[in-house]
Amino acid sequence: MVRRRPLTPSSSFPPKAPCFHNPPSAFRTPNESPHNLGYMMQRVTNHHTHKTTDVHRHGLRSRQLHLLPDGRNFQVEYAVKAVENGGTSIGIRCKDGVVLAVEKVVGSKLLKHSANKRIATVDRHLGVVYSGMVPDGRHFVDRARDEARAWRDTNKTPIPTADLASRMGGYMQAYTLYQSVRPFGITAIVGGFDSELELPVDGEVGYGPSVGAGGKAPDKKHGGPFLYMIEPSGLYWGYYGAATGKGRQAAKAELEKLDLGGAGALTLEQAVKEAARIIYLAHDDNKDKEFELEMSWISASDGPTKGKHQEVPKALREEAERLAKKSMESDDEDDDKKDDDKMEE
Amino acid sequence: MFRNNYDNDSVTFSPQGRIFQVEYAAEAVKQGSVVVGIASKTHAVLVAFKRNAEELSSYQKKLFAIDEHVGIAIAGLTSDARVLSNFMKQQCLGHRLTYGRNMPVRGLVDMIGSKAQINTQHYGKRPYGVGLLVAGVDEQGPHLFEFQPSGMTEEMVAFAIGARSQMARTYLEKNLDAFADCGREELVRHGLKALKESLVQDRELTIENTSVGIAGVSKSKEDGSSVVEPFKVFDGQEVNAWIESVADDKEGGGDAAGEGEGMDVDA
Repeated sequence: MVRRRPLTPSSSFPPKAPCFHNPPSAFRTPNESPHNLGYMMQRVTNHHTHKTTDVHRHGLRSRQLHLLPDGRNFQVEYAVKAVENGGTSIGIRCKDGVVLAVEKVVGSKLLKHSANKRIATVDRHLGVVYSGMVPDGRHFVDRARDEARAWRDTNKTPIPTADLASRMGGYMQAYTLYQSVRPFGITAIVGGFDSELELPVDGEVGYGPSVGAGGKAPDKKHGGPFLYMIEPSGLYWGYYGAATGKGRQAAKAELEKLDLGGAGALTLEQAVKEAARIIYLAHDDNKDKEFELEMSWISASDGPTKGKHQEVPKALREEAERLAKKSMESDDEDDDKKDDDKMEE
Repeated sequence: MFRNNYDNDSVTFSPQGRIFQVEYAAEAVKQGSVVVGIASKTHAVLVAFKRNAEELSSYQKKLFAIDEHVGIAIAGLTSDARVLSNFMKQQCLGHRLTYGRNMPVRGLVDMIGSKAQINTQHYGKRPYGVGLLVAGVDEQGPHLFEFQPSGMTEEMVAFAIGARSQMARTYLEKNLDAFADCGREELVRHGLKALKESLVQDRELTIENTSVGIAGVSKSKEDGSSVVEPFKVFDGQEVNAWIESVADDKEGGGDAAGEGEGMDVDA
C-alpha cells in the first residue's frame, strides 16, 4: 500500500527511503544515532520555519513527519482547513425525520441555476452533504453508494445509517494512514431514516426467530431518524444538529437553541424552515457573495417522503427561504434598535 | 521555481488546506488557447481559437467529437486531453452497447471528474493539465459542462476557458439572458463574438484558426418527436460565413489598409 517516493540518481540501490528511524548517512551528524529523538525534533522545527535543510540541498523531497512527537498529524489538520473554507452544510435530526441543507456559494454568473446539486442520495433512505473540496465529496459519495449496494447484496436489507457512517468513517481514516495518499478535504454529514416497519428481507422464505439472537427484541423500538458527521480524520459522532464549513460557528449556536431531542421536539416541516433560516444566518458574515440554498429531507414511511431521501419540494423551500429572509430583516431591525438605544445612552 | 515545500506532489496539503499541484495544473489550462461554449434550449455550441507552432505548421485541433451527441473543447495539455477523450469515447460506446442509447452528458462528465479526482489524492499521480468544455445533447436537452483538473465539473449556461478567457466570459455574462432562446446560427455568432474578445491585439479570426462544433435537438414537424443533430466540427471553408457575419465593420475597413502595410517586400 505504501509506495516509496522516487529517489535521486545519487542514492544507492536497492533504494532505501529516507525514513526517520533510518536517515541516510548524509543527514546524520557524527554523534547522532538514527533513533535520536533530537533528530526528530530538529525536523519538526524545520517544518515550522520552512528553512532549507540538508534534505533540500541533496535534492530529496523533504518528507513530512507523519505523526509528530506530540501526537498530531499535520496533514489531517491542513485538510480540516480546506473544509473550513467551504460553503456551510448543516443537518438537523428531529423526531420524525432528517433535514440536510447546504449553502452553495455561486462562483460565477455563468453557472446554470440549480443544475449543480451538492446533496447526494446514497441509498433510498440515505442522504449525504459535505463542505470542503467538492471533487473529494464526490469520491466520498461514490464510495458510500458502493458500500450501501454491497450491504444490500450481502444482507438483503438496506444499510442502517449507523453502519454506513461506520464504514465511511473507516474509509476516511484509511486515507490518513499512508504517505501515498492524502486525507479527504471534506467533512461529510450523513442523514438517514432506518425503517421502523417490519420489512420482509429480499428473497425471504418463512420467518426468522421473533426474539433472541438474529431476531427482534421484545418492547424494543427499531429504526428512526439518524444523523452523523464524519471529519477528515475519520472521526464521526451522531448528532441532533450538525454543522460544518465556513459558517459552522454561527450555525452551531443556532442549532443549540433548537429543541431537537426533548419532548416538544421540532417537526420535520419546522426543521426545514429552521435549516433555511440557519443557512441564511450563517451566510450573513460574507454577504458580498451570492449563494443558492439546497435542501433535502427524509421522513418515516408514513411521512411526506415515504421513507425516502428527496429534495425538499420547491414550494416548501421557497416558503422556508421567504421566512428566513424575513427573520433576517427583523433581526437587523432589532440590531438597529439596540444601536439606537446605545446612541441615546 | 517552487513556491514552497508543499508543492512537490498532489498528496500534500499546505497549511492553508490547499493542494498546490492542483493549482499549478489549473495554470496549465490558462496557457492553452481560448475556447468558448454556449448552450441554448435547442443547441450546444463550442467555438475555439486554434494555434500553430510556427508559420508553416498546421494548427492544433481544439474540438473533438466524442460520440454522436457529445463533443469537447480543450485548453491545456493536448496529450492529457487525448487520454480523457479516449476514455469518454469508450464510456459512450459502452453505454450505447449496454443500453442502446446515448449516454447522458452529466453521467459522462461525472466519470471524468471522478477519474481526475483520483489523480489529486494518490501519490505518484499528477493532476490532468487540461480543462474541458463538454457540450452535448441528451434526453434532457442540450448541456454544457466545464471540467477542471481538480475534478470539479459544473454545468454552465455559457463559459470560456484558456488564455485571456476572462474577456470572453465578461462578454458571455453581459449577454447571458439572450442565449436560452437563440437559434443555431445566432448562438454560433455569440460564441465567435465572445472568442474575439479574448484575442490578442492584431489577431483576427480566420478560416484557418477557427473551429466551430455544434450539437442540437429539434422537434420533428411531423410527429413532434425530438430529432438529434449530431455533434459536428466545422473547420476551414465551412466556418467562413460565420466569421464574416461577425466581422467588425470598423476593423474590416482598417484591415484592407493594414494588409497593404503588412506586406513586407524584400527589396
